[in-house]
Amino acid sequence: MKNVFLLLGRKFVFVLLTAFLLSMVVFFMLRVIPADSLGMMLPPSATEADAQALRVALGMDGTVLHQYKVWLSGALRGDLGNSIFFHQPVTGLLGQALPPTLELACISLLLALLISIPGGVVLYLLDKKKIEFAADFVLVLLLSVPSFLWGIILIVVFGVLFPILPFMGRMEGTPVVDGGTGFLLVDLLVRGQWQAWWDAFSHLLLPALALALAFSPIVIRVLRSSLIETANSQYVNVARLRGVPEWRVLLVHMLKNAALPTLTLIGVQFGFLFGGTLLIEVIFSFPGIGNLMVQAIKNHDLPLIQGVALVFCMMVLCVNFCVDGLYSVLNPRLRSA
Amino acid sequence: MKIFRKSIMGLALGAALTMGLAGVSQAAGQELKIAFPVDIPSWDPTAVTFPAGQSIYKAVFDSPLFVGDDLEVAPRLIESWEWADDQGLALKVTLRESVKFHDGSALTAEDLKFTFERAVNKKTLALNGMLPTLASVEVLSPLEAVIHFSSPTPTATKGLAFLSAYILPKAYFEKVGEEEFMKRPVGAGPYKLSDYQRGSRITLEAFEDYWQGAPAMKQVVFEIVPDSSARVAAVESGRVDVSVQIPVREITRLEKNPNLEAKVYPYSEIYILQMPSYGESFNSVHVRRAMNMAIDKAGLSRAFYKNAAQPLSVLATKGSPGDVADLNIPFDKKAAAEELAKAGYSTQNPLSITLYSTNNTFPSDYDVARAVAQMWSQIGIQTTVEEITVAKYLELSHSSKLTGVMLYSWANATGDPEIFTGRILDPRLRFSTWKEERLAGMLDELNRQMDEGKRVAGYQALNREAAEQAWSLPLLQSISTIAYKKGLELNTYQTGYILPQEYSWR
Repeated sequence: MKNVFLLLGRKFVFVLLTAFLLSMVVFFMLRVIPADSLGMMLPPSATEADAQALRVALGMDGTVLHQYKVWLSGALRGDLGNSIFFHQPVTGLLGQALPPTLELACISLLLALLISIPGGVVLYLLDKKKIEFAADFVLVLLLSVPSFLWGIILIVVFGVLFPILPFMGRMEGTPVVDGGTGFLLVDLLVRGQWQAWWDAFSHLLLPALALALAFSPIVIRVLRSSLIETANSQYVNVARLRGVPEWRVLLVHMLKNAALPTLTLIGVQFGFLFGGTLLIEVIFSFPGIGNLMVQAIKNHDLPLIQGVALVFCMMVLCVNFCVDGLYSVLNPRLRSA
Repeated sequence: MKIFRKSIMGLALGAALTMGLAGVSQAAGQELKIAFPVDIPSWDPTAVTFPAGQSIYKAVFDSPLFVGDDLEVAPRLIESWEWADDQGLALKVTLRESVKFHDGSALTAEDLKFTFERAVNKKTLALNGMLPTLASVEVLSPLEAVIHFSSPTPTATKGLAFLSAYILPKAYFEKVGEEEFMKRPVGAGPYKLSDYQRGSRITLEAFEDYWQGAPAMKQVVFEIVPDSSARVAAVESGRVDVSVQIPVREITRLEKNPNLEAKVYPYSEIYILQMPSYGESFNSVHVRRAMNMAIDKAGLSRAFYKNAAQPLSVLATKGSPGDVADLNIPFDKKAAAEELAKAGYSTQNPLSITLYSTNNTFPSDYDVARAVAQMWSQIGIQTTVEEITVAKYLELSHSSKLTGVMLYSWANATGDPEIFTGRILDPRLRFSTWKEERLAGMLDELNRQMDEGKRVAGYQALNREAAEQAWSLPLLQSISTIAYKKGLELNTYQTGYILPQEYSWR
């Protein structure tokens, strides 16, 4: 048990160190690449003197190192600066935008698992059969479609041709959740607002599906390969010889072991899934941090870009941290550091 | 057991379909949903110059004066005005009676004074830069005031009708403070803000005591949909009633839809090619003239704007004061090649340049750039198109590091030449790329000229010279697009404003 804590402790320190390094890299890179945030804010009649005055007012004068120190001392106190475009604290904007993205990511992951686990098993069962070629072809086709294209296809099919699902925003109406967590599915469920809950859930379906469809094919492939590998392991053959029915062998014995490499892949892919939220949130007008990041980039809003980049980094690190932990839980051999 | 499960699934699917369909068949009552491409940065309308978001500000706030479809300045919150002197230093204004803010308080000259003097003291507010000569406001009576300027400002009335010019409620603002005002803004416009979900949705309720009368549309929802295909899908599926800024080729398709109206209409904005005077390739007037003559502007309008975009030869929209009606730079490939030869370039010895363009910032921007690049390459100017964002371009332009031509759109809802040529060619401004130093003094004089006839004539002469010297190449007058449900009474304006307070269902 002490080993587990030590292991977790080491990984936690690693997460903090990576976050710190990333904040430095992003900060310096954003300022090395010449980007004039003021351009968007000044009226046409602005002179250089006006620009300088604004620069001072926004704390953008001084050397890059000095600016970083100011930012870091603020960040350690929980203050990530003010958004140049929105004239609001970055932490406030992030606080509003993070829960929708996390909700979206979780539902996407759920849908992805619902698609890829049965998908991987089905493909394994088709192994060495004639139809496998067709299934493989379809899989490669699915693999080549990026998430934003899925988004547009889903809007056309389920939004316009057969208009059964919504594709704009988080909800039709206004959520009546004072003092909620920001996670609508949780808040509305807890308050027993069923129709509103369904409203919020149906708005999540299409964007989550777009992300899940982009996520699943590679997981299906890896799961299929792992299953094929474990199919001829000794313990599997022993189980078969003992008379255990094939479906039990598959679900109880093989899947658990085949899950391990798949789990690592899911951890890695989840990072890409967060990246996918940028385009998906814009296409579906979903008010998450992906949407916020795109706006920040369009407006050269450096403090906001910095803040969102940091949040993305922390989320990916957290996910990988959890995956590592889960790995140790599933595979006892990894529990000793 | 199986039947039970099947019936549950059937019910669930049925529920899903009804929920979905309920969303589609909207009550064509008094609610209006508009799919809009951008969200406003903040609820202080005096803080930013944000042409794209002005329609939202105009729903919640009201401006001192207003520019209508004829591009004339008309009374709004200010009912009448006259110059108290003949140098353009003091403008006496009379405010409209019985105007109320959303909290029920009356709008008086104190609110005008508060809003404008706040801008004078705070350089970070856009209103400060839009009315740079604003000095103070003197209150004479509850509805009368004199606006004092630090130097002659003949275009003051245009400034009072343009970006960032709105009147804020002094009492409410001072009571709740700036931060709270941004969360719960109060204005004198036709709609009250009832809910705001940043980047997602703006819900407005009609203000029954609006001075022009309560709007017919009792609830207006601006759905923020940044993606143009999603905006098209939204209006096509019926999930919104109005969709703006959609691609021109979609208009052609939507026109055939029996449930929708789709329009392309002229907009008071010009597409121009900005050239850096500090770029060696552009020093020769022959090169610049050749570039101008080689562009088939009518062809561009035909190909990308359904012929609705008017070709321009001067830096002004057709019919606006600065326009020089008889000046026309014709499309002439042969003459262009000959002009280019005077600078020593030809198809055998081409000049290499870069053309920067945005993608999806204004309709067909990137397509136009590629077409222009082709046209130039044909006469001997080897052009590479490079994609760029507006923010990036502004950075290059402000630091005078632009290395090529930039395809740019210049919005000017007032149509006034000071805001077209006066800003595009002022060498001291960060927004100009062509720095002709002697124009500084000339523009200063024009901008002080109180005689409107002389001022306009001066700008026309400047526009003539600019066209001959090809300092900045005007291409086309912009167009704007809109698609909406049949049965909606809707007006479009050259200013591009979307004004839901005027809409109604037939």
